[in-house]
Amino acid sequence: MKRFIRAAGVVAALALPMASASADVVKVGLLADFTGAFAVWGSQFQQAIKAYQEVHGTKIKGPDGKENEIQFVYRDLTSAGPEKAKQLAEELVLREKVKFLAGFDLSPQAMSVADIATQAKIPTIIMNAATASITRGSPYFVRVSMTIPQHGAAAGRWAAKNGVKTAYTIVSDYAPGYDAENFFTKEFEKGGGKVIGSERSPQQETNYAAYMEKVLRAKPDALFMFQPAGSPSLAFVKAYIERGLKAAGIKLIGTGEMQQIFLPQFNDDAIGVVTSFHYTETNKNPENIALRAQLKKMFGQDADADIASVAAWDGTDLIYQAVAALGPSADGLKYVDFFKGKKLNSPRGPIMIDPDERDVIQNIYIRQVEKRDGKLVNIDIGQEDMVKDPWKLENPAKK
Amino acid sequence: MSAPTPKPTSPLGEMTGPGRFSLVGHALPWLVIAAFYFLVDDYLGLGTQVMIWVLFALSLDLALGYAGIVTLGHAAFYGLGAYAAGIFSIHVSQDPILGHFFAIGVTALFGLLSGALILHTTGVTFLMLTLVIVSIMFEIGNQARGLTGGDDGLQGIRLDPIFGVFDFDLWGHTAYIYTAVVLFIWFVIAWRLVHSPFGRSLDGIRQNARRMRAIGTPVWWRLLAIYTISAAMAGSAGALSAHATKFVGLSVLSLLTSGVVTVMLILGGTRRLYGAFIGAAIYYIVQEWTAQISPYFWEFVVGIMLIATVLFLDGGLMELGDRGARLLGGRRRAGGGE
Amino acid sequence: MFSFALTILLDGLSYGMVLFLISVGLTITMGLMRVVNLAHGSFAMIGGYVAGYLTQHGMNFFLAVGAAVIVSGLLGAVVETTVYRPLYRKGELAQVLLTIGLVFVATAGVTEVFGAFPYNVKMPEYLTQPVDIGFRTYPAYRLFLIAVGAVVAAVLWYVIDGSILGARLRAAVDNARMARAVGMNVNVLFTGTFVVGCGLAGLGGAIGAGVMAMEPSYALKYLRLFLIVVIVGGEGSFKGSLVAALALGVIDTLGKYFFSQAASYLLYAAVFALLLWRPQGLLPAKSAA
Repeated sequence: MKRFIRAAGVVAALALPMASASADVVKVGLLADFTGAFAVWGSQFQQAIKAYQEVHGTKIKGPDGKENEIQFVYRDLTSAGPEKAKQLAEELVLREKVKFLAGFDLSPQAMSVADIATQAKIPTIIMNAATASITRGSPYFVRVSMTIPQHGAAAGRWAAKNGVKTAYTIVSDYAPGYDAENFFTKEFEKGGGKVIGSERSPQQETNYAAYMEKVLRAKPDALFMFQPAGSPSLAFVKAYIERGLKAAGIKLIGTGEMQQIFLPQFNDDAIGVVTSFHYTETNKNPENIALRAQLKKMFGQDADADIASVAAWDGTDLIYQAVAALGPSADGLKYVDFFKGKKLNSPRGPIMIDPDERDVIQNIYIRQVEKRDGKLVNIDIGQEDMVKDPWKLENPAKK
Repeated sequence: MSAPTPKPTSPLGEMTGPGRFSLVGHALPWLVIAAFYFLVDDYLGLGTQVMIWVLFALSLDLALGYAGIVTLGHAAFYGLGAYAAGIFSIHVSQDPILGHFFAIGVTALFGLLSGALILHTTGVTFLMLTLVIVSIMFEIGNQARGLTGGDDGLQGIRLDPIFGVFDFDLWGHTAYIYTAVVLFIWFVIAWRLVHSPFGRSLDGIRQNARRMRAIGTPVWWRLLAIYTISAAMAGSAGALSAHATKFVGLSVLSLLTSGVVTVMLILGGTRRLYGAFIGAAIYYIVQEWTAQISPYFWEFVVGIMLIATVLFLDGGLMELGDRGARLLGGRRRAGGGE
Repeated sequence: MFSFALTILLDGLSYGMVLFLISVGLTITMGLMRVVNLAHGSFAMIGGYVAGYLTQHGMNFFLAVGAAVIVSGLLGAVVETTVYRPLYRKGELAQVLLTIGLVFVATAGVTEVFGAFPYNVKMPEYLTQPVDIGFRTYPAYRLFLIAVGAVVAAVLWYVIDGSILGARLRAAVDNARMARAVGMNVNVLFTGTFVVGCGLAGLGGAIGAGVMAMEPSYALKYLRLFLIVVIVGGEGSFKGSLVAALALGVIDTLGKYFFSQAASYLLYAAVFALLLWRPQGLLPAKSAA
């Protein structure tokens, strides 16, 4: 046991000076799924980061005028459990001496590294993981993506204001689904609407016949869905059409299901679906046009921006700005303080990092699928400015 | 004493007697574990994860390898152990040892009850029942959000120092040594078990249950006993995972977790105990390395590795060691394989 | 009320038919060759991707499905003769390991070629719309699934029960060694059956993509369902797998309709109870006269 303690001491003594020895290179550890069911996230993050570095270069001058190289180190979470995320984060911190952690497509992955971020004082930029409570997990967590309640609440408010009297909800049977259902229902009923039925479908469901039949019989004005992007959401919309819900005049309202990258998978039946989301891919912001053009230039015509791309782009931007302002070896909390209240012109529109909660504050856009030049696109039909995460407003932090 | 018996030609290696393994063979894995601690300090997290998988695979070897209980549901025990340990630390006590014993107790009980319910069936039917159990457990874990955190995972696990002295440090030193010690204790138990008369009778049951029954062996009770022990061990691995990660994700209960541990064990070689060591380590490390080279292609490399192992190595990767030992000993393989 | 019951039945049957098409090959090969073929779903997946690729590039849907069947079948022939044949004599654990390896390779290959997104099989317009069936409108696609499933089941029924080939097949399932002893070329029978099984899986994958969407994780994601069909039906039992697949489809639909909160448990609970009650499955191949 003595030897154990001694070894631990030696290691601790060695680890500290080594961290500051590599002054010129600032490493950012990016953890995401590159294989498995969630592989899309990793590749989208990576492309956007490469695009950002292509545009802005890999070197950035610090406050002392010295150049620092920003280097991303990618690790694949292989769609395995969060223990993998924790282990890889540890290695990135200990072995690669990263100054920042970033990435995290799924919420459990982000939550499992909270301890590491806190103890090692590593600012951690969350680029997707959308469970509302995550940023409370560590004072070093900063989120640039979104929270599920932001979308759900905005959708509920929009529906109540736009002639929808009754709604039915079908959400995927897991925590984000419950949050979406909860906040949609709350805001919708606050606005005078009534939810006349709600269902939870298994997570990887692709056979929605029975659910659609139930909705058809209940005859609501609108159907609110929250389904994981990919095969479940595709199947959901197909079933909605096939079963004649659209023909019966039941409006379909969703959140992330109709992202531009998924639209080619749908046919014209998807026209008219309304979604509440924080990024409309066809918006005319100059940052957005530049990002999309850059992605196509580097990765071919099939490449396009999605929420993973904009979050990775903005997250990288934050890191660049922080290094430019504070240099390569500031204390972790200094970087976090720098991020607090920071405003960015994101490709999605203006965003701000909440100074108290370190979570993203952003516009939520209400979009409708339409056909333009023979292609399906999302067109904005409404907007809520600078929406804070409603969950945090409802659950204030304990002092 | 180290004279190798002619290699039996039955599929996937045969029982290795205690005399088969030289002292060097026994010491090697433990020396590696010890050396790893001092030499490759930055990868302790990886080392801890590998040892947890080794323990999990070892537990499966008792059921699948020795007793021939073909299960795809071991993640039910692993996951239950992880949740039991995690929930215990949040709601009852932060003492890791106490929590660990609690998790072992819960999983042993669950193994006993579920085993009693389904162990009269065999073959694919049993396999299916275990698969269904783990699927139901997953759904419970997903929906009981208040207790398990559901899909978000179980957060807020805090642990006191082990024996009030050794704190779970960020750098994973304590977790590594703790895991190594637990693994060693279970290994000794498993070794004694499989070389006891009880272990021999399991061997007989695997080869011909009807005959064993005819000579008066209480087959069902023996199977239930080993199934329960195996469950407890898997639960212990789950508890280690919860303690080392201080977080439990729903994936501990997924069918994929069951599948991965099965693949690890068969890859290393069943019925040799050390097969679990080799299989888990090789699988995990190969996946890790290839994922670093090209994040997209580890599945391809691991897939090819599995196929090649079956086509060229009857006894899993442990066979490589055997062949090496034979070469060194200058002995030829008697007659060759089938 | 009647129309409602009929709707549920149609929903259940159409889903069940897809499961049947994909699983029947697995049932027969598991019964015949004693191979625990966990890679079976990969053949359905490859069929689906082939059909998806061809329809997205303008080919007629039915021609594309035909091509999918042929590609899956041919691939089955290649894999059977090269990788599976040495496997027959090895234990089931070796089979598990190798077939999982195949799944990994297939998944990696599909991701590399087609990307990680779900992959669309474009159906003709008239299949994606509801049609009037007298008492209500109903998705044309699901009627199409039921029709194809029924035709395939009828043909298989005739071949297996009524033809010399079927008699040989049944003989080999019952006792492969004896069949060989009386002069049957069991190897050819094995390959032939395997090819047909894979072709059917390709068919199911291609036309069933509307209820079981194509994506790289397809082969593992639905493996659980395929195994349930095979084992609940009874290994090697063609009729058993038909009954099991249809029952599964109907139970799943009923569960979602009436007990949606417990839908995810209900199916498993039903399988659990059934296997405790009849460990050999619904219609075991061997005990049936």
